[in-house]
Amino acid sequence: MSGGPLIVQSDKTLLLEVDHPDAQACRMAIAPFAELERSPEHVHTYRLTPLGLWNARAAGHDAESVVDSLIKFSRYPVPHALLVDVAETMDRYGRLQLANDPSHGLVLRGLDKIVLIEVAKSKKLAGMLGGKIDDETIAVHPSERGRLKQALLKLGWPAEDLAGYVDGEAHEINLAEDGWTLRSYQQEAVDGFWAGGSGVVVLPCGAGKTLVGAAAMATAKATTLILVTNTVAGRQWKRELIARTSLTEEEIGEYSGERKEIRAVTIATYQVLTSRRGGAFTHLDLFGARDWGLVIYDEVHLLPAPIFRFTADLQARRRLGLTATLVREDGREGDVFSLIGPKRYDAPWKDIEAQGWIAPAECVEVRVTLTDAERMTYAVAEAEERYRVAATARTKLPVVKAIVDKHPDEPVLVIGGFLDQLHQLGEYLDAPIVEGSTTNKERERLFDAFRAGELRTLVLSKVGNFSIDLPEAAVAIQVSGTFGSRQEEAQRLGRVLRPKADGRQAHFYTVVSRDTIDTEYAAHRQRFLAEQGYAYTIVDADDILGPALPQID
Amino acid sequence: MATTFADQLRSLTDEALSALVQLRPDLVVPVPADISALAVRAQSRGSVARCLDGLDEFTLHILDAARLSRSEESATTSVAAILELATGVAADDVRVAIDRLRVRFLLYSGYENGGDEHDGGDDGALRLVGAIDEVTSPYPAGLGRPADFLDPQTSALCADKAKLRRTVLAAPPGARAVLDRLAAGPPIGALGRESVAEPVRWLVDHHVLVPISEAGRAPRPDGELVELPREVGLLLRRDTGPLGALRPFPPIPEGATRDPKSVDSAGAGQVMEAVRSTESLLEALAAEPAPVLRAGGLGVRDLKRLSRSAGVDEPGAALLLEVAYAAGLLGESDVAGTGRSVTVSRAGGAVDEIFLPTGAYDMWRALSTAQRWTALARAWLAMTRQPGLVGSRDDRDRPINALAPDAERAGAPQARREALFVLADLKPGTAPQVDEVLGLLAWQTPRRARGREAVHRDALASGAQLGVSALGAITSYGRLLLEDVDEGDLDPLGVRPGSTEPRGDAVRTLDALLPAPVDHVLVQADLSVVVPGPPEPELAAELDVIAEPESAGGASVFRVTAASVRRALDVGYTAADLHSLFRRRSRTPVPQTLTYMIDDAARKHGGLRAGSAGSYLRSDDEALLTEVLADKRLVSLGLRPIAPTVLVSPLQVARMLGALRDAGFAPVAEDAGGAAVLTRPKVRRAPTRTSVAARLADQSGPPMLAGPRLAGVVEQIRRGDIATRAARRAPVSVRAANGQGVPGLTSVQQHGQAMAVLQQAVREKARVWVGYVDSHGATLSRLVRPVSLSAGYLRAEDERTETLHTFALHRITAAVPDEES
Repeated sequence: MSGGPLIVQSDKTLLLEVDHPDAQACRMAIAPFAELERSPEHVHTYRLTPLGLWNARAAGHDAESVVDSLIKFSRYPVPHALLVDVAETMDRYGRLQLANDPSHGLVLRGLDKIVLIEVAKSKKLAGMLGGKIDDETIAVHPSERGRLKQALLKLGWPAEDLAGYVDGEAHEINLAEDGWTLRSYQQEAVDGFWAGGSGVVVLPCGAGKTLVGAAAMATAKATTLILVTNTVAGRQWKRELIARTSLTEEEIGEYSGERKEIRAVTIATYQVLTSRRGGAFTHLDLFGARDWGLVIYDEVHLLPAPIFRFTADLQARRRLGLTATLVREDGREGDVFSLIGPKRYDAPWKDIEAQGWIAPAECVEVRVTLTDAERMTYAVAEAEERYRVAATARTKLPVVKAIVDKHPDEPVLVIGGFLDQLHQLGEYLDAPIVEGSTTNKERERLFDAFRAGELRTLVLSKVGNFSIDLPEAAVAIQVSGTFGSRQEEAQRLGRVLRPKADGRQAHFYTVVSRDTIDTEYAAHRQRFLAEQGYAYTIVDADDILGPALPQID
Repeated sequence: MATTFADQLRSLTDEALSALVQLRPDLVVPVPADISALAVRAQSRGSVARCLDGLDEFTLHILDAARLSRSEESATTSVAAILELATGVAADDVRVAIDRLRVRFLLYSGYENGGDEHDGGDDGALRLVGAIDEVTSPYPAGLGRPADFLDPQTSALCADKAKLRRTVLAAPPGARAVLDRLAAGPPIGALGRESVAEPVRWLVDHHVLVPISEAGRAPRPDGELVELPREVGLLLRRDTGPLGALRPFPPIPEGATRDPKSVDSAGAGQVMEAVRSTESLLEALAAEPAPVLRAGGLGVRDLKRLSRSAGVDEPGAALLLEVAYAAGLLGESDVAGTGRSVTVSRAGGAVDEIFLPTGAYDMWRALSTAQRWTALARAWLAMTRQPGLVGSRDDRDRPINALAPDAERAGAPQARREALFVLADLKPGTAPQVDEVLGLLAWQTPRRARGREAVHRDALASGAQLGVSALGAITSYGRLLLEDVDEGDLDPLGVRPGSTEPRGDAVRTLDALLPAPVDHVLVQADLSVVVPGPPEPELAAELDVIAEPESAGGASVFRVTAASVRRALDVGYTAADLHSLFRRRSRTPVPQTLTYMIDDAARKHGGLRAGSAGSYLRSDDEALLTEVLADKRLVSLGLRPIAPTVLVSPLQVARMLGALRDAGFAPVAEDAGGAAVLTRPKVRRAPTRTSVAARLADQSGPPMLAGPRLAGVVEQIRRGDIATRAARRAPVSVRAANGQGVPGLTSVQQHGQAMAVLQQAVREKARVWVGYVDSHGATLSRLVRPVSLSAGYLRAEDERTETLHTFALHRITAAVPDEES
């Protein structure tokens, strides 16, 4: 027994004790092949997945070194079967290769003939493979490259993709580093992405994912298609690109419901791409409109299903996915990884916070006790109405007001999911509301006023869930949400994580109704952030409403 | 001849006789009456076959040499003749092998006068026990019969050595390949195979191969057979020697060498894994017991479910369940819950039975990991099951289920130990390839190893899964375990001077390798609780109640949820208990969320109250209920207010109504829906009876017989009569065997003795009295002269009627030589 910091579990999770003196060395050793799953304060959880092991193989680590680091850092004996399994899994990678043959184009080459015969017979690959060229080579339809890789992954024989990427139409892009430089983790993220070719970069909200995108563009120096969630987010990208790169306004096109510009760098919304006329997707031509050298997917955790299908056809182009929270409530994380690419970079939120790039935040859950009348309404509500009844209880209003009053000098965002409740709040707090029906122009005006400090309190509907850059917001109060969505919670916290000029702490309040389904959803929502190490405090509303306000720092 | 053999046995010293008995223990089960009986048994087919099974490849080759070198007239051989055949190896090795055969009395001195067996030297005549030819291949050393037996033209060819050599050299390549294959043995090939038809025809035409046909046999689907004559075979074996390649010493497995420490470490990891998986399999089974299939065993779907919930693959789950069953941790119980002993046979389990962990499981759980593992590993070594068969299909293409009778293999424990002893005999850390191990086993006991490859492979794979071996080498504690078990086996009754318990070296060694239990946890803000090591039993029990397990292995991860806290409150923990438990056990500060959650759950706990009552009494008039409650006459009702307007009583409604009415109140009963129930007095009646007239007519006296049934009875009586008359003529022992058996012998032994007598009689062409059971179940005896004994039938001549009879061997109850002949 070496007394190391790592404990290997039989379900292939690895527990890393953070306070152990060797923890840092161990983390460096296992990071290439194990995926960080949870990072609460004392014990981080990594997981050994076939995908992770294959990525490690692709990056040049062999089974021997993986087994060595497991044994070296493990506190207890590592089961023989697990070691065998790791070696066998890694051995499956690279038996098949996707390569460009000078005479036959894209081919699937088998270094192990039997494996090639096995996969060629599989029904799952029907229609993807062309004719057999010789015993070790089978032609592949170039359009099926993505689907083939995905199918091979599912069969457990991942192909090593040696076919490379098209360079795309060259376009000079440089970072304009005047007075700022790329942060070290941003640089690592870009390097990791570029070395891997395609993939997903996971960074906390407010940690500067746009800059990672910009730096990737500057590395590619090619025409770029950027896919974003909505028009406002697209305009923020555009602003940021003009400010931080050599690109000018004329070089960046907007492809949205309002404008249809196709330029060297084009920013398109998911919405316009997935809009249909007469059952057909009418804007798909955009993917083929230019010879794109790079495709960036912003907020990749929201990628709609049709985009998945188009993406399968883009396997010859470099793809970069950006997100803060790769948790999808629909469980399609696997599709993101196989179509856009594996996770190339992931930084725990608390690490970035420790480096000072995002503001430290205090998360508080405020429990309000419903009045008897409200409890009665809740008790008799239909099952599908219960969350709404609990979440929109009027009792929450004075509590929200008390919290707003508690932070008299700070810009406050109030975020909710139900419009009626937001309107009530707007009246009660005398604050403007930004909701789905608010025009882009009005939104811009309100956000500008908020950034300038003219407006102290803003009420946001679901539009506030993502991609709104309001750096000064320091307090967020969440009154209701989309049931138990973990990524929504993380995105909302992200609104207040931009580092403050004076290093102030951010505050994130969730107001929930005690003893209702609201509490259960809140607990589920908090899972992701709790696993990232954010310790929630639970307080009673009375403590906030009461005369002596407790000092929370 | 037999007398000579017996005389030689008789003249042995006590030491030599005990050596023989030690080498062939089956000779004295049961103890034979005298040396003659011992001699008969030592020459019997069964005993000879068993003895040959224990011999190594080289000794068997030497035995083949002895068979080959017998002279035709005297049927004897000599050491010199054997040495002549065994070329290419040291003469001393051959002599040692011959001695091995002689101490076992497979070879014995061949002088008719029974002279001193040590005087013969190399030329002394040696005789083989007759049964050897019956239980070994008809082609000793893979050589065919001499050409003289086969075909005159071939015989002529073989007589001319030079011509034979020329013919063989002239053979086309295809024919040469056929020759080489036949020369390697066996020397018999089928003519019908399309691919070799041409070369074989050439060989037959040139009289190098001889077509053989057995009269009266059905034509084979792959055509007629050809045989390679012995002379040609010997010619082709010029390079390797007449017996083929001889290996006087076992092949030494090479294998990689691993650090014994890392072997032990990987093994210890596997040990923890095996013990933990077994526990979670049994826990899953306890939570949802699986039904016993009608044919016995555990259904495929249940196995899948259990393996999923325990996180093991299906073959692994099958192995662990089999081991747990063998260790008595798992047993059948009928659905009602009255447990049955685990030793009850599994054959024909009824549908209303389920598999459940036994009481022994609870005791097992209280042991340390090393002790638990040792219990499992010992059961594994001893169990007569082959878990590797689970999931495959049997001869009738039906799947074999876990714990089903189909996976029973009596030879499994021996095979398992053979395979592991190969590993244990190597230097620590040596990790031979599986094929090398199988190769060595095939040398050690070729006759036994044949057909056991699957069992051996299974044994090695299971051993790795249980952690007996790791990284291909045996672990230090695995070696100790084998030694332990081996010593225990020397004494079948398990009584050993000194200690009655296993020495426990394996447990101690393993204990030192396993992590020490921990008594603390790490509690984190996401409400996960990590036990950084195997938890102490007390801690494990606490966590079992207050948290949900999430992941297990070297450490265990639990999560506290509202539901788990409520469960803890349900079993009697208070909020304060939980707080202090976390404070005491946690090495890290208890997060505020957890504290809040416990308080919150405790606050809500018991908000609703449930209970049972025999009846209730309700009224909107609170004063009226208070009056009832205060009434002294109603104390016997045991009324208790549970709300201002509701009283409950443990008594039934009828009693309550009666008492209330007697006390002058006017209650009305309510039914389950709340409506008033009006009652009227009920008239009492006895249960309905049927009239005498409806009964059937009187049926006295015995039933009448008629028709076929009557004829059957008569025939039965006649048959019995004939049998008795026939038996009167037979010797006493045959008659007795037909009755209740010879005292002192079980029927199986009797049968074995009868077979030995018959085999002897076939060889000596002597007459015997045979007792047998005919197709009607009658016992008869007949005086016959046995002709042949094969394929389960005795063919014998009845001299009086001059007919040839065929007796099924299993119907023969006794056989006694005819003293008159």
